[in-house]
Amino acid sequence: MAGKSGRSINAEQKITAKKLLFTWEGALIVLFILVNIFNMNISQSYTFANVLREMPKYLAEMFMVLPMAYILVLGDIDISVGSIVCLTGTLTCYISNAGAPFPIVILGCLAAGLICGVINGSIATSFPELPSMITTLGTQIIFRGIAEISLGGGGSVAYNNTKQIMPLSTKLGKTVPVIILVVLVIAIIFTVVLQLTTFGRSLYAIGSNKTSAFYAGVDVQKCRFIAYVLMGLMASMCGLFLTAYTYGANTTTGQGFEMEVIAMCVFGGIASTGGKGTLIGGIIAGLIITLLRIALGQANVNSQMILVIVGALLIIAVLIPGIKGKIDEMKKLRAAA
Amino acid sequence: MKRKVVSILLTAAMAATLLAGCGGSGAATEEAAPAAAPAAEEAAPAAEEAPKAEEAPAEEAAPAEEAGAEAAEAATGGSDVSGKTFAIVVKSAGNPYFKKAIEGFTEVIEGNGGTVVVKEPSAATVDAQITEIQSLISQGVDSISVAANDENALQATLQEAMDAGIKVNCFDSKVNADSRMTFCNQAGITEVGQALIDAVLDLSGGEGQYAILSATSQATNQNSWIEAMKSIQESDSKYAGLELVEVAYGDDEPQKSTDQAQALLSKYPDLKVICAPTTVGIAAAAKVLQDQKSSVKLTGLGLPSEMAEYIGADDAHSCPYMFLWNPSDLAKLAAYSSIALVNGEITGAVGDKFTAGDMGEYTLTDGGDGGSEIILGPPFQFNPDNIADWKDVY
Amino acid sequence: MENKSLWKKITGSREALLLAILVVMGIFITILNPTFFSPVNIGQIFRNNALTMIMALGMLCVMLTAGIDISITSTLAFAGMTIGMLTKYNIVNSTLALFLIAMVMGCFCGAMNGLIIAKGKVAPIICTMGFMYIWRGMAYVVGNSQFASGEDVREFAEFGKDGTIGPYIILIVCYALFFWMLKWTKFGRKIYAVGSNAEAARISGINVDNTLISVYTIMGTLAGLAGALSVSIYASAQPNMQYGREMDVIAACVIGGVSMSGGRGSVAGTFLGALIISIIAKALPLVNVPSIAQNTVKGVIILVVVIFNVITQRMVDRQNLERREM
Repeated sequence: MAGKSGRSINAEQKITAKKLLFTWEGALIVLFILVNIFNMNISQSYTFANVLREMPKYLAEMFMVLPMAYILVLGDIDISVGSIVCLTGTLTCYISNAGAPFPIVILGCLAAGLICGVINGSIATSFPELPSMITTLGTQIIFRGIAEISLGGGGSVAYNNTKQIMPLSTKLGKTVPVIILVVLVIAIIFTVVLQLTTFGRSLYAIGSNKTSAFYAGVDVQKCRFIAYVLMGLMASMCGLFLTAYTYGANTTTGQGFEMEVIAMCVFGGIASTGGKGTLIGGIIAGLIITLLRIALGQANVNSQMILVIVGALLIIAVLIPGIKGKIDEMKKLRAAA
Repeated sequence: MKRKVVSILLTAAMAATLLAGCGGSGAATEEAAPAAAPAAEEAAPAAEEAPKAEEAPAEEAAPAEEAGAEAAEAATGGSDVSGKTFAIVVKSAGNPYFKKAIEGFTEVIEGNGGTVVVKEPSAATVDAQITEIQSLISQGVDSISVAANDENALQATLQEAMDAGIKVNCFDSKVNADSRMTFCNQAGITEVGQALIDAVLDLSGGEGQYAILSATSQATNQNSWIEAMKSIQESDSKYAGLELVEVAYGDDEPQKSTDQAQALLSKYPDLKVICAPTTVGIAAAAKVLQDQKSSVKLTGLGLPSEMAEYIGADDAHSCPYMFLWNPSDLAKLAAYSSIALVNGEITGAVGDKFTAGDMGEYTLTDGGDGGSEIILGPPFQFNPDNIADWKDVY
Repeated sequence: MENKSLWKKITGSREALLLAILVVMGIFITILNPTFFSPVNIGQIFRNNALTMIMALGMLCVMLTAGIDISITSTLAFAGMTIGMLTKYNIVNSTLALFLIAMVMGCFCGAMNGLIIAKGKVAPIICTMGFMYIWRGMAYVVGNSQFASGEDVREFAEFGKDGTIGPYIILIVCYALFFWMLKWTKFGRKIYAVGSNAEAARISGINVDNTLISVYTIMGTLAGLAGALSVSIYASAQPNMQYGREMDVIAACVIGGVSMSGGRGSVAGTFLGALIISIIAKALPLVNVPSIAQNTVKGVIILVVVIFNVITQRMVDRQNLERREM
């Protein structure tokens, strides 16, 4: 059904350990190990405890890697997520400051994210001829704009009652942050849905060829809508946890997250042209980038230099399939001769 | 399959070389990067003798090597901090104001035998600052001086730092009382507001319309100065003739500030003065006014090096005078107070006193928000007479 | 009969529609603030937004090949910072030389994009995203936490000073050149061909890779030019110059009717799209939209114009279908 879907094309193929290593995900695991060795060499502070302590901020972004993978597999893109983080974070603070009980605060935050997702989804599905980049650019400006208006002249809001939000930023047994467990559970759900369910397969089908997916009976617009709604929901999760760590929100909360999240996905082998990649790759890639940034930060590498490194890694990662294709082609030619 | 092996090896090799290359050059630009791994290992035994067992050996290694060279200078300060690491976290990279601050901070700390870690976040956001501070906690530095991008948002992180035994103070832009030990304030809020409103009164000739061109709408410093200006204006009948027509926000972007300054001119033909309490805004407004040969005058807070072109008493220049403090002195004060905190001379309580090297003695006063602060002094006026001397300094 | 077809042609053309939107916006703003429609103000609109307008031309070419380039403002900052530093430390002081240096740097940055996209078969958005990080980082590295502003760039800023015609000339020359290039040269037709159907273009003997590389190189060169212009107009070179403004440029093109899937778009449409974006930026502070709400209003206007475009396009398509049925 999904011609170009994924790197494990044929289900009948035997999956051996050797083969697994030669997939993009396998390469990423090797790279993951290498990065860790490298990190331990450049930073004396790169210990398990320190990494666990520094992780939460990056893990908040990991929430968005999951649905972003869906959207990229569809061949769409959503650049409004950073703004949704800002807007939902702001609203969460206001709801909490109004004296709402903890469950209501969480539900309010998720509802706000859901609404943002529904707005993005409805625009994307009502006007499918518009590129998603432009519509989400519009909503990107608008969502952050609404946050700016509601934040008013001060531009920043803090929790009156920080104790209420604390459970989200606590550590189990004083070492494992709660957020890790939450991310883990949600990541498993998202991976299973994408890789094993009909919905997941139809996402790949749409990403590979929208028209043929449509004629194969896939409700293209419904799938896109669901993906955008999930995106909004997960962005609000990010907003929720981020505010728990920053005790509030301001107009720059979540700025630039969209590009970081997309970079993690693409590095994980999820092509922005749609129909390719697995979520496992995205998650490992996200971890690689995160750990690398932590270690480079500990080694006091200039923050701009870290961006240059991440950018260069990204380009190299996307170049490899192309180079591999060229080599394959040449081999074939040689074999034919 | 062989091709895949090749490609994987290629990935690994490319990534590794790239990282090694970039890591190296990055570390080279950072004056205070901890010593390389081998050096740190050698110094590890020495670290055990240090008072704090949890300190990472890397921090011990670097100063140990420099200690000899710095010993002579350290004697002058009277507060030797050999073996200690002091971190400075600025608002964002690429800002000359903070470049001067970093220079001042480094001069004092290294002069006293300490090691400096400089953190310049990639963007002027809280998220970026949290990442940097978390990294500093991992490194086990002794003190962190931060210019905050948001008053409350760093609380959780900075409290974590203080729990880990790190001394925390802030400078330039404060964090709330719960997240700091003390705050090095460049000038009292009322003093800045007073200076600015008096300048507006003077330049307008006693009455008329004036507008404010600020940074972003959430800039804490700018907002508090503007509020101070407004309340001073209401409290004294001397300012009754002045009318504040608009507070515009240029977001500290030259283009947006230019658009906003031009809009102010065409919207209010009777405008007499623009007051821009932000360095980017004042430079953009100065250029607009000077290019258009407008009769509107400008004042505010600006860097002398950026504003030298526009400061002059005649009509050919748009800005007769403006104010600022010395960012380098401010950071020096932050450095001395960090040293005092680390050495236990002060605890951050109101009434504590310490000697800031050749800058004299300072007392911690009540910051008005439940925490203590140290005020550098009144804002300094830059006018046509002294601008030539200052434009090369900062 | 002829009149009717002419009328149909006008109502059916996207450019006419944009012009109508522009006129309505202009009238609306002028009612709210009469000073808007003054020669000074109009001049400022073009001057302050010359960067967006120039880069929109490059983006037009890129988007015609179904690509996108989000690294442009980073290229701009890298080139701008470099010449800012060169003139600050009096290494190069000739205005012409500085412009050329910035353009050569932009050209190089663009060529890198083009090479990787064409030869490496990398999706344009991803490749340019990588370079967005890299060139922006390089701008910081070049600057080493220094600005160049005011006195540092005095001589260079003379060129872009309010009241000089330099920026306008660059703008006019660029637009004339691109209008000619896309309409009447072989290269221009190649760009359209590659964007409409790359496979068909390849079979009909067009070197698709070379066309792609040229297009991104052109984009980079224009970004470099915009970098020099930015330093000159604002008398300021900072590493965070124009951060995030690439989206304005892309929005200008899309509003101007350039299709992101390639092959459709015109210089005239791009000009009108860029003008709409510029007028929004200029007019919002003028018509007393509170500072704090300006971003939201801007977002709403962009979204509304784009959706309006789609709706009218649908209507036109339906009309065409109906006519065919008759």
